[in-house]
Amino acid sequence: MSEVNLGDAPFTMTIDGKRVEARPGEMVLAAAKRAGIAIPTLCEHKAVESFGSCRLCMVEVTKAAWKGWKGLMTACLYPAAPDLIIETQSERVLHVRRNVLDLLLARCPDSTLIQRLAAEHGVQQTSFSVREQPDLCILCGLCVRICESAATSAISTVKRGHHREIGTPWGGPPPACIGCLACAHVCPTGHITFEEHGATRAIWGRSFELQRCAECGAPLPITVEQASFLVERQALDASYFSRCESCQRRATAQTFGRLARWQKLGLTQEPDARQEGGKR
Amino acid sequence: MSAQSQPQFPPVDLAATEAILARYAAEPKHLISVLQDLQLHYRYLPREALERVGAALGVPLAKVYGVATFYKAFSLTPRGEKILRVCTGTACHIRGAPLILSELQSRLKIAAGETTPDLRFSLEAVNCVGACALAPVVMENDTAHGNLSVTKVRRLVRSGAAGSRGRGSAELPRPDDSPAKKAEESEES
Amino acid sequence: MAETAQARFASVEAFLRHAALLKTSPEATQRRVLVCLGTGCMASGAREVAAALERALAALPAERRVALNLCMKKTGCHGFCEKGPLVVLWPEATFYKGVKPKDVPELVERGIVGGEVIERLLYVDPKTGKPVEKYGAIDFYARQTRIAMRNIGLMDPANLDDYLLRDGYQALAKVLAGWSPEQVLKEIEQAKLRGRGGGGFDAGRKWRSCKSAKGTPRYLICNGDEGDPGAFMDRSLMEGDPHGVIEGMAIAAFALETREGTIYVRQEYPLAVEHLERAIADARARGLLGERILGTDFSFDIQIARGGGAFVCGESSALMRSVEGKVGEPRAKYVHATDKGLWDKPTVLNNVETFVNVPRIVEKGAAWYASIGTARSKGTKAFALTGKVKNTGLVEVEMGTSLREIIFGAGGGMLVDGPKGAFKAVQTGGPSGGCLPESLLDLPVDFDSLTDAGSMMGSGGMIVMDHSTCMVDVARYFLSFLTDESCGKCVPCREGLYQMYRILSRIAEGQGTEADLAKIEDLSQAVAVGSLCALGKSGPTPVLSTLRYFRHEYEAHIKEKRCPAGVCKALITYSIDTSACDGCGACLAACASDAITGTPKKGETFQINTLQCDKCGACAAVCKRGAVAIS
Repeated sequence: MSEVNLGDAPFTMTIDGKRVEARPGEMVLAAAKRAGIAIPTLCEHKAVESFGSCRLCMVEVTKAAWKGWKGLMTACLYPAAPDLIIETQSERVLHVRRNVLDLLLARCPDSTLIQRLAAEHGVQQTSFSVREQPDLCILCGLCVRICESAATSAISTVKRGHHREIGTPWGGPPPACIGCLACAHVCPTGHITFEEHGATRAIWGRSFELQRCAECGAPLPITVEQASFLVERQALDASYFSRCESCQRRATAQTFGRLARWQKLGLTQEPDARQEGGKR
Repeated sequence: MSAQSQPQFPPVDLAATEAILARYAAEPKHLISVLQDLQLHYRYLPREALERVGAALGVPLAKVYGVATFYKAFSLTPRGEKILRVCTGTACHIRGAPLILSELQSRLKIAAGETTPDLRFSLEAVNCVGACALAPVVMENDTAHGNLSVTKVRRLVRSGAAGSRGRGSAELPRPDDSPAKKAEESEES
Repeated sequence: MAETAQARFASVEAFLRHAALLKTSPEATQRRVLVCLGTGCMASGAREVAAALERALAALPAERRVALNLCMKKTGCHGFCEKGPLVVLWPEATFYKGVKPKDVPELVERGIVGGEVIERLLYVDPKTGKPVEKYGAIDFYARQTRIAMRNIGLMDPANLDDYLLRDGYQALAKVLAGWSPEQVLKEIEQAKLRGRGGGGFDAGRKWRSCKSAKGTPRYLICNGDEGDPGAFMDRSLMEGDPHGVIEGMAIAAFALETREGTIYVRQEYPLAVEHLERAIADARARGLLGERILGTDFSFDIQIARGGGAFVCGESSALMRSVEGKVGEPRAKYVHATDKGLWDKPTVLNNVETFVNVPRIVEKGAAWYASIGTARSKGTKAFALTGKVKNTGLVEVEMGTSLREIIFGAGGGMLVDGPKGAFKAVQTGGPSGGCLPESLLDLPVDFDSLTDAGSMMGSGGMIVMDHSTCMVDVARYFLSFLTDESCGKCVPCREGLYQMYRILSRIAEGQGTEADLAKIEDLSQAVAVGSLCALGKSGPTPVLSTLRYFRHEYEAHIKEKRCPAGVCKALITYSIDTSACDGCGACLAACASDAITGTPKKGETFQINTLQCDKCGACAAVCKRGAVAIS
């Protein structure tokens, strides 16, 4: 993330004529959001670094000292700075936004998200040639970025230019995938799908066994691979994934019950050294 | 590449991959250099080799695959012994590159980006090889052929079909012989 | 000569002594047979010519060889590629073109040993019809001012001493002998050197902001990715004067106080890589690169990164990702590379031609350099002059030279006579540039004038087009190029350029409407301001410039369903003019779709079956009598 060192003191900027407070190091988009000014985005997500690929959050930026020069910048990547004057609804901004949504509608005509955003900008149907055999992928790249930062980089962008797509190595089941579903959860259009039946989960052409509760045997919402990934890479304790939620709750309740009994007896330490419950 | 013309993948000797990896420090930044050396050696990037490279340099396989499909220098299917790169740069375009390309496509019976089933030729349409003064240009592996005409292109195919020794006997089928040949020869001089 | 076996120069003085000694050595006074082995001449068979010359010269009796005081040099590109293979005798500067191996015995016996001039191998001036003997008297060269290309063609790029004989590394020695880094920075700033890669950004300012950015180490990158189709000056410089690139980078590194440099070379330029690798190794061996250069405290080394074949990597932030081993995707430039570039460290990136100018500026002074060119564009610019012009090749002229002077002076005018061959447009700046019409021929060429005219300098491609070039087809060509070369990261570039391509294809196929023109103009504006990097931002330029100057051609395609240049397949038909056809049968053999009928025989004529004809144009290309008509 790009940082601009301006000291630590908050400062003010103007967005759509409103004085807005911003903090050093943050981007225009974050400051606008906090001030309740809506700027549409598709490729931005709090869990990953900004990318600037959808171009929907473009705003017009200027300063009094810039002698009338205004630039179109992506709010998600443009660092907030004192005395910026920002317009989020100027004709130039809306022109780009309309075109971007029109183009995305030609790419993904069946996406309800794109349909809605486009309609909000006055685009009822695309004015361009619709892609043959369209799917719901707008290539925002959120799935690839979340997989890289939170999981195993099992998927990537493949090819380039107009042929770019999101894919797995050789189009097959991705060997590094842990079935965590992060990609499916961040996908704004529902392009990435998965299925869960009983204790199995299927995504990207792979099938995963879900971790089972050590006590009742019920499937946990986490795959075996994901559990061992978290244990290995994020240094979490394996016991964290050993029980289902209800068994976990029961165990916790038992622990609290025991604690209450000791307190009644005036004990400060557990009579038997064995640890109970999770290590939360 | 169409499914029918998909050539057989030769067995992969990973010793060469190891030798190439040994030239570089085991750092992600050397990925592209390693892939270039692999491409040169195998004439494509075999999956087994890429799996090994990813593990050795610490780059996730999906990233390796992303890089391998992003850059034009790399191919995931075996390329031919002779790679004919038709320059489609601007200077070549206005001096007849589209005709040169269509001629090669019809002679070799493959589309740009494909390889003949016998793995002799690969045909590529590339963006400017930087020999614009000689437009139109075709690169035959690392050798440039300039100021090409339809007839010169045919000769190039014939010389290639004769194997790496150069011009020679094995000719591709052609529609007619005597007068056409005369016409070709008159242009050769 | 075994220059690599020679020792490192222990000090600046030792280097200067050696360089001075070299100038008085027999080597310096030898007569030279310069054979061009640039990519262009090699394509015309220069390798065989060089081998034949080597053999013929070696076969001369020993005493004769000594008496002649001869040496043969395989040089880089002379720039006049179209006339290759080229052989130049030096110092008499006799220029032979189109030399074939079979010409070599005569060349050696009469030309070199006998001292005669072989008229049939001389260049013939198309204007006077007379042969021209001397290198410098040929219009193509006489009208050039060579600063960046001062060495290429005149020395062996693989020979460091050859470079030293041409005052190589003198500028680096001068700097190391007592300049401060600040002094170098000032000199470059005062010379007003602007980057030759495309944008024309002030090089001194770039170096200064990198130097004042926080963070170390700083990195230096030479962009040798020259992706613009139609430009090859950087290839010629890397192939023909690799030490010039290295010296320029070393001086820049001294100013920036950095130790690490990278040259990023296109994958398509294997010879450039070979020559640069050799030159780097030689410079290292002699103490001109590496630890403690010329015995001083300054250390600097260069590594080569080979590109993977991606036009977008000419964009600096994409290039840096590629050097890092990643996919070449650009980043937003709200934070400059001079602050956070390669590995997020302050980085200076300039292209090959920019660096090659640096030693000359140091040698002759900023004032000298700033006296050349126009008010805001100093020095010279190398152009790759190609297309439908008589003399194609590399032309380096002073900034401010008119398009007319370049095309009709050095370029010798249009290639084809007649109305079809008349000048229509010149394309500058590659896929980011535009097409300029005849009315702008007197435009003085510099960074700003080209931008104002709706095109741009780019890296210096200059493609001349005549009336057989269709401007709709040219615009469509560039869009097809860009949709393939876009990295695909941002929506306007990936989807927008593709939709523009679709619209232009419709127009080229005669399916266009007037609403399409409005649509493409509207979309162009959005793509130009909405795209993430320069590739997308400048992508609409070829469309906008052709619409601006050649709108009537678009309208002919739309309203009259006619392609005036006879290029767009859907709008033309081929037929055979029976009065001109002599029945040779060349067209019959050329046709790949069996659309031509007739018997090859004198007196017979042929017909084209228009239903079967796929309009490839092969018949027209082979017909010697111009009997294939396009309408």
